[in-house]
Amino acid sequence: MIRRPGLRARVTAGFAVGALGVSTVMGALSYQLTERFLLAQREDSAVRAVALDAAIVASGLDDDSPDALTALSALNTGADRRAFLRRGSRWFSTQVDTANTAAEIPDGLVRLVERGEPGIQRVRVDGVPAMVIAVPLDDGTALYEVDFMRELDRSLKVLALVLTLVAVGTTGAGALLGWYASRRVLRPLTSVANAASEIAAGDHSARLDPAAEPELARLTTSFNLMVDQLSRRMERDRRFAADVSHELRSPLQTLSAAASVLARRRAHLDPRTATAAALLTEEVERFQDLVTDLIELSRSDQAADRTSVDVPALARRLCRARGLNVSLVSIAQGSDAIWQVDRRRFEQILVNLIDNAQRHGGGAVAVRLGGRRMLGYYVEVDDEGPGVSPADRESIFDRFVRGRTAGARGDSEGTGLGLSLVAQHVQAHGGRVHVTDRPGGGARFRIDLPKVAQ
Amino acid sequence: MVAVLVIEDDDRIRLSLTLALEDEGYTVSAAATAEEGLVRQRREPADTVLVDLMLPGIDGFECIRELRRADDVPIVVVSARDDTHDIVAALEAGADDYVVKPIAVKELTARLRALRRRARAATATGPRTSVIGELEIRPQAGEVLLRGNQLALTRTEFRLLCELAEHAGQVLSRQQLLERVWEYDFGDERLVDVHVGRLRQKVEDDPGAPARLVTVRGLGYKLQR
Repeated sequence: MIRRPGLRARVTAGFAVGALGVSTVMGALSYQLTERFLLAQREDSAVRAVALDAAIVASGLDDDSPDALTALSALNTGADRRAFLRRGSRWFSTQVDTANTAAEIPDGLVRLVERGEPGIQRVRVDGVPAMVIAVPLDDGTALYEVDFMRELDRSLKVLALVLTLVAVGTTGAGALLGWYASRRVLRPLTSVANAASEIAAGDHSARLDPAAEPELARLTTSFNLMVDQLSRRMERDRRFAADVSHELRSPLQTLSAAASVLARRRAHLDPRTATAAALLTEEVERFQDLVTDLIELSRSDQAADRTSVDVPALARRLCRARGLNVSLVSIAQGSDAIWQVDRRRFEQILVNLIDNAQRHGGGAVAVRLGGRRMLGYYVEVDDEGPGVSPADRESIFDRFVRGRTAGARGDSEGTGLGLSLVAQHVQAHGGRVHVTDRPGGGARFRIDLPKVAQ
Repeated sequence: MVAVLVIEDDDRIRLSLTLALEDEGYTVSAAATAEEGLVRQRREPADTVLVDLMLPGIDGFECIRELRRADDVPIVVVSARDDTHDIVAALEAGADDYVVKPIAVKELTARLRALRRRARAATATGPRTSVIGELEIRPQAGEVLLRGNQLALTRTEFRLLCELAEHAGQVLSRQQLLERVWEYDFGDERLVDVHVGRLRQKVEDDPGAPARLVTVRGLGYKLQR
């Protein structure tokens, strides 16, 4: 697909093309007018000069023994003019190459003059524009003058150059104006975009100033309205989640404490009641974990609150608490020991990955840590279970999805939210989590966290 | 027998906690409001107080401040609220610990035991008197003097100061302090931060610019020799 150029580029190009058009038309017109005016002036003066010359030549020929060359040489033609005399069908000129030069005189003009009419015609001689002016004298005699317009030609060339430069300059100025104008016009849109990204980043206090751009009043008003509604809705959702969690937590506290009383007296209960009490106690515990995880998931929009955390020590402590050998934890050489992470969330990441390995992966066999603040961190948790089939590798991080190997719900079952919480916490740190095969069997969960800005 | 006072407005939670804690060997008295709890505590002081935050009338925060005004009885907040804001506010009001509902009775009793040990350890088995700058710490007597004037510290603050004084000049991480003072394998580091803040109010001349109990960025806290 061809990407359409941006609005700004299009406005700039439009202004440039417009300026080019206008300056070309203006330039061409002024060139034409100037040229016509200068030529007319030149023609006038040339005609007057030739008329004068004709009188001089005519008086020269009025002699008893009229000699054309003598008559011609009486003329003061200068460098830019050449005079020819035609008597009968012969050409006379003060120049040597008479025949050659006379060829420059168009036949049409000669015929016109032979009918007794004066004439004027523009020609080009050796690339130089010239004017041929012809005046019939008496029978069979006519004076022709070729007037070279070198100066005029040079002036017109300079004019054309100047006008071209002006056109180029105007085009540039047009583009500049377009660029500036589009920036001015787009500035309110830029502020809308900035406000939108602030809101996306979680700052719900961002609003637009409706007074700043009267033309955009409708946009700013509806934008502000939208943000108001959005933040009201989010606040409502947040409060709802808080209320729900509170309303769930209080009865759960009662259940949990009551269940512990039952559990303590299990020995004194008859077997049926004892079994029922055991079921109740286990399910209450699971329900408790589920509610805790759900509440955690409902806070997905919170950013990571980074502090300095001794991650290897944390990982060892978590392993110890689960009765695992602390030698499972290894840290790559040259890695930081203190990481900049959200302690609570990072701890939950490790807990859930290790618990997942314990529950579904036949036990964790390695917890590898590595990375540096300026490069990013990684965590790998290996197990020796059946691994995760490629088809499940994406969906395993979805809520309430259990791996195929997890089988029926049993009492070792987790909440089904552990890995999606891992994914959410990793995302809050701007990182990625994925699962691959461990060389030698089992699954490997790997987390990559990007580098931490200073 | 250890006496525990439960201040909780939810009847069912109050009853179930009372039953469960009595099963664990505690003597439990219960109050439905902060007013009632404060009166009870004045008449027959319990060894530990469990308090909810959302109470009718006087709220949990004010209740903690009232209890603290009287003495240094260990206070544990048991609340359904888990905002950082609430946790910090409760700890700053003077609570020693904070747990979020629902908490398993086993875990709650583990915390209560740790809190009791802390109180005893501070007074009975501490090291000899140590003098650090203008501070004089007498673990056996449970006293801290600043330029000869006795400071009123809670048991948790006192344990924290003793731990830091024992390693004066060394940096202790938040996690180390949690393990040694609160005896938690893993816990909320905000506990440490808030208690350090409260301790500074008492031992520093200018708590805003601490000179004795300093923060070592990224590592932890240190008591200057």
